[in-house]
Amino acid sequence: MSERIEAATEPLLEITDLQVAFRAGKRDIPAVRGANLTVYPGQTVAIVGESGSGKSTTAHAIIDLLPGTGHVTGGTIRFDGRDITHLKRRQREAIRGSQIGLVPQDPMSNLNPLVRVGSQIKEALEANDIAKGNAADKRVVELLEEAGLPDAQARARQFPHEYSGGMRQRALIAMGLAARPKLLIADEPTSALDVTVQQQILDHLDSLTDDLGVAVLLITHDLGLAAERADHLVVMYKGQVVESGPALEILQHPQHPYSQRLIASAPSLASQRLTAQTRAEVRESAVKTAGEIVAEHEGDEFGGEATRIAVEAKELTKVFKLPAGGLGRTIDFTAVDEVSFSLRRGTTTAIVGESGSGKSTVARMVLDLLEPTSGAVEFDGVDISTLRNKKEQLAFRRRVQPVFQNPYASLDPMYSIYRSIEEPLRTHDIGSSKEREATIRDLLDKVSLPSAVMRRFPNELSGGQRQRVAIARALALQPEVIILDEAVSALDVLVQAQILNLLNDLQAELGLSYLFITHDLAVVRQIADEVVVMQKGRAVEQASVVQVFDHPREEYTRKLLDAIPGGSIDLAS
Amino acid sequence: MWWYVGKRLLQAIPVVLGATLLIYAMVFLQPGDPITALFGEKPVSEAARANLEAQYNLDKPFIVQWLLFLGGALTGDLGVSYSGQPVADLIGRTFPVTVKLAVMALIIEAVLGIIAGFWAGLRRGKIFDSTMLVVSLLVIAVPIFVLGFMLQLVFGVKLHWAPATVGGDASIGKLILPAVVLGLVSFAYVLRLTRTSVIENLSADHVRTARAKGLPEGAVNRKHVLRNSLIPVVTFLGADLGTLMAGAIVTEGIFNVPGIGNLAYQAVQRGESPTVVSVVTVMVLVYVLMSLLVDLLYAALDPRIRYA
Amino acid sequence: MPEIARPGQERFVAPLAETPLEETGTVDTSAPPEGQWKEAWKQLRSNWIFWVSAVLLLFILIVCLFPGLFTDINPRAADLGRSKEGPQSGHPFGFDAQGYDVYSRVIHGARASVTVGILTTLFVTFVGLLTGALAGFYGKWADMLISRIADVFFAIPLILGAIVLLSALNNVWSGRGYWGGVIAVVLVLAVFGWPQMTRIARGAVLEVKNLEFIDAARAIGSSKWSNLRRHVIPNALAPVIVTATVSLGVYIVAEATLSFLGIGLPTSVVSWGNDIAAAQSEVRSGRNLHVLFFPAGALAITVLSFMLLGDAVRDALDPKAKKS
Repeated sequence: MSERIEAATEPLLEITDLQVAFRAGKRDIPAVRGANLTVYPGQTVAIVGESGSGKSTTAHAIIDLLPGTGHVTGGTIRFDGRDITHLKRRQREAIRGSQIGLVPQDPMSNLNPLVRVGSQIKEALEANDIAKGNAADKRVVELLEEAGLPDAQARARQFPHEYSGGMRQRALIAMGLAARPKLLIADEPTSALDVTVQQQILDHLDSLTDDLGVAVLLITHDLGLAAERADHLVVMYKGQVVESGPALEILQHPQHPYSQRLIASAPSLASQRLTAQTRAEVRESAVKTAGEIVAEHEGDEFGGEATRIAVEAKELTKVFKLPAGGLGRTIDFTAVDEVSFSLRRGTTTAIVGESGSGKSTVARMVLDLLEPTSGAVEFDGVDISTLRNKKEQLAFRRRVQPVFQNPYASLDPMYSIYRSIEEPLRTHDIGSSKEREATIRDLLDKVSLPSAVMRRFPNELSGGQRQRVAIARALALQPEVIILDEAVSALDVLVQAQILNLLNDLQAELGLSYLFITHDLAVVRQIADEVVVMQKGRAVEQASVVQVFDHPREEYTRKLLDAIPGGSIDLAS
Repeated sequence: MWWYVGKRLLQAIPVVLGATLLIYAMVFLQPGDPITALFGEKPVSEAARANLEAQYNLDKPFIVQWLLFLGGALTGDLGVSYSGQPVADLIGRTFPVTVKLAVMALIIEAVLGIIAGFWAGLRRGKIFDSTMLVVSLLVIAVPIFVLGFMLQLVFGVKLHWAPATVGGDASIGKLILPAVVLGLVSFAYVLRLTRTSVIENLSADHVRTARAKGLPEGAVNRKHVLRNSLIPVVTFLGADLGTLMAGAIVTEGIFNVPGIGNLAYQAVQRGESPTVVSVVTVMVLVYVLMSLLVDLLYAALDPRIRYA
Repeated sequence: MPEIARPGQERFVAPLAETPLEETGTVDTSAPPEGQWKEAWKQLRSNWIFWVSAVLLLFILIVCLFPGLFTDINPRAADLGRSKEGPQSGHPFGFDAQGYDVYSRVIHGARASVTVGILTTLFVTFVGLLTGALAGFYGKWADMLISRIADVFFAIPLILGAIVLLSALNNVWSGRGYWGGVIAVVLVLAVFGWPQMTRIARGAVLEVKNLEFIDAARAIGSSKWSNLRRHVIPNALAPVIVTATVSLGVYIVAEATLSFLGIGLPTSVVSWGNDIAAAQSEVRSGRNLHVLFFPAGALAITVLSFMLLGDAVRDALDPKAKKS
């Protein structure tokens, strides 16, 4: 009895003044600068930070799996009472797996695609002398069952590609815990998964590590998730620990300006407070401006009378033909199934759904990049599939513009920022080259970028900056509707908050209407007025934001809401 | 899977037809009179000439000749060479020799290339790696016939380790030197491909995961790095068998190997269209079958790929 | 949760002075702007292999253009009396069987070999890029048609096909002189070489065509054709350039091989391939190796330079290689 208390008061992992650097040419570029961190047995500690904060680098330094030229340049890592900072290869291999396990980030790339899942877990057992041969096979099935995989016996014989993302992550958890380590490093274990799956897996991981008494070092960018799962938080920023302490205390009383900013920006936490009111103000202003613009447009080439509805989707359906064995045989896959919604001028309609829900297919049909199998998209009351001549089509293009998800793929890497933003103007023959330059300066100013950016190329800008450029390009033709297809999903929390603010400001100023496609229900509250919840191609629920958040009708919507990490944490105490 | 094989074989038909037609057309660009070529300077009587023309279908339009050739080929009759031997017999005699040579070359290049490439990839930037890179570039840069001469001279003529020429009976022992020469260039490609692939896989996420679970370095390299790296290499090797058989034309010349390359070369020189077209058809068939085999092999090695 | 923090887990807040916040969204405007090509060039510039191969190739190019700068000796002036004499003063590479000066022939032979390599590559790249881009971008029947035709040519082995076509050409177009001979070899190599480039270009285009900036351009209202021309092809160019550089060397070797088989360039053309072919009888006897060594060496150095250049360009252009 006394022994157990003794053991519990000795730290399991103790990182002191850790320095990690990556070698580039002859120079060392520091990635972690003087990090301190302590984990006690059985405890869950979370490192929170944005990309580039050094959180994953710190985790990888512990088991000596730094990528490429990374190496520890200073400080010590003590594990279970011994210094493991600089170990020989054998000693290192002895610690991995049996003492410290890892659940990696991306379940898609972390299993060897050529080896059966069962064999990959068996390897972990054999390498750590837990079990061999038939005994190991048996144990693999038990481990998979323990990780919550149904039908484990058959699943063990399958290859990774036969698993869904969530199942793979369960297999990786089984692998990480196979040799019963004392510490499990979970590096963004669920960030690649849908929210509902994410929640199930984290719940399972929690109870499993509790039962086994395994300490967990959770690496995450999601403050809400960290606060929900960990006892102790470590906030990292640019390679340094800026704040650490009990999770709830940091959330409620952040001291460092960076933590404060992070908490203010986290959509899952922040949306509860500030959004309803700001959103109402934005909408009011936007609707007013939009009304004025419509009044001006009266009687132009689109003809149709000025409606308050900008875009209306009527029973949109898209059926893809997938090849299915035999010669030229196909099966029908209905990606979008009779989805109807409307977007009022000066407002935002959000389409929310998990991967495979068909939400991006809807976006592409509204943009006229993909032809619907049946149903129609009406713009200003005109069915866009009836726009046959070039002039009408270009006029439509001018009024509806997209911003896509991936800030690294949405700008042509060969084009300077100037050329990228100029392209729509040029295509539509707008202005002389002098006037165009003035327009571009103005647009960059609108998205809060210095005009010096003009001569830069996409590879020189950060993700957030690229997304600003993409917005500027979308604004170049003075559109009325912007389709935002996961436009903030790939961005870090702080940048995401900035872009959402920018979008709100632009909407209020220019009277824009947004169709906001996202998988993240948490951000919806900051920008949307109406919500369409999609599941497997169907719109399962449509209502105002307030209704959806406060009185969800559908079971599925409730599940999505519950899965928002940290959504239930009381910030004010 | 059988659906897939069937589909692929069907798709191969136009390729084979197109390729033979192409070769036929090229051979018929030659206005030189094959009858004269056959008889040399001796005068030929009108009757004999007409007879011969009828025998070789020379009096018919070339499309008809091509169709007749195809019809014959389906029944195993590839026509008769101008020296009077059935082309099918000529090919039947020479083809196995070239297959033997090419397979030997393939084994040599695969074994040496994979071992050297794996080692070089694991020790990227070290002495062995740099040396192998230089060696592979040299092998690619120096024409194969120069390399052939050098090896023939050193091992055949000076050291007498192997016969300098092969001649009538092509035993495995005699074919070793030509096989090495034939496989040299591909050895360089296999080495470079394996190396690149190993380097790529070394930084793969799943390799890191394998290390994280405590697997010893050697096992990680064998089970996860090498195994995954071999997929592109194996597909290259499969496609290479056809290339080797065609490339044998040079090697067979140097070492006087009685293979199909030699046969083709002499036939071209003599303007013997039935033989030339037949040899090319055989090569095209080899290519088509090998690429089908490579695809099936790919599916066997990579469980993600399923042909339906 | 314990009431009192355990050692090492006390509340900690870093002093702001040591962990200053940086403005998010700042742009570094100190350095001059760099596009992808410029960045690749910078990478290339720092690679010594690039410089070695570039200097060698520049030298070889000068030799091709102005052989007179390097030798006064006529490569076709035979002095049978000095047949097979070894290297000596004034004749650093000695004489061949016909009594030609080997050094002069190596210098004058560069032009034919390098011209074949360059012209074939230009031809193949042009045809391959065009067909590959059309097949990859337009898909459907265009892809079907182009891919099947490419398959037909690809199925015929390069050397074998080239021998048949060249011997056909020899009959139709005999006595075609220096440039005629070069053009014939170029045509024949190109006819059987283009499908490879088509495949490379098609793959590259397929990869680019689904990127988001292509959709963005479509949403602006750009036509398919201008999309292909302005966005798809420029972004698919990198693998094509790399393949072109490497295959330039391969075509030089192929020309030499054809000449060795006695079917490439006419024997009247001074070329490395012809000289290597002529040297084979010497080599079989194991004597007078200089006759083989010098033209073969010149050829190898040229091919090697192109290969190294190709490797350096690949390292500079391939984003995958850049990461590691």
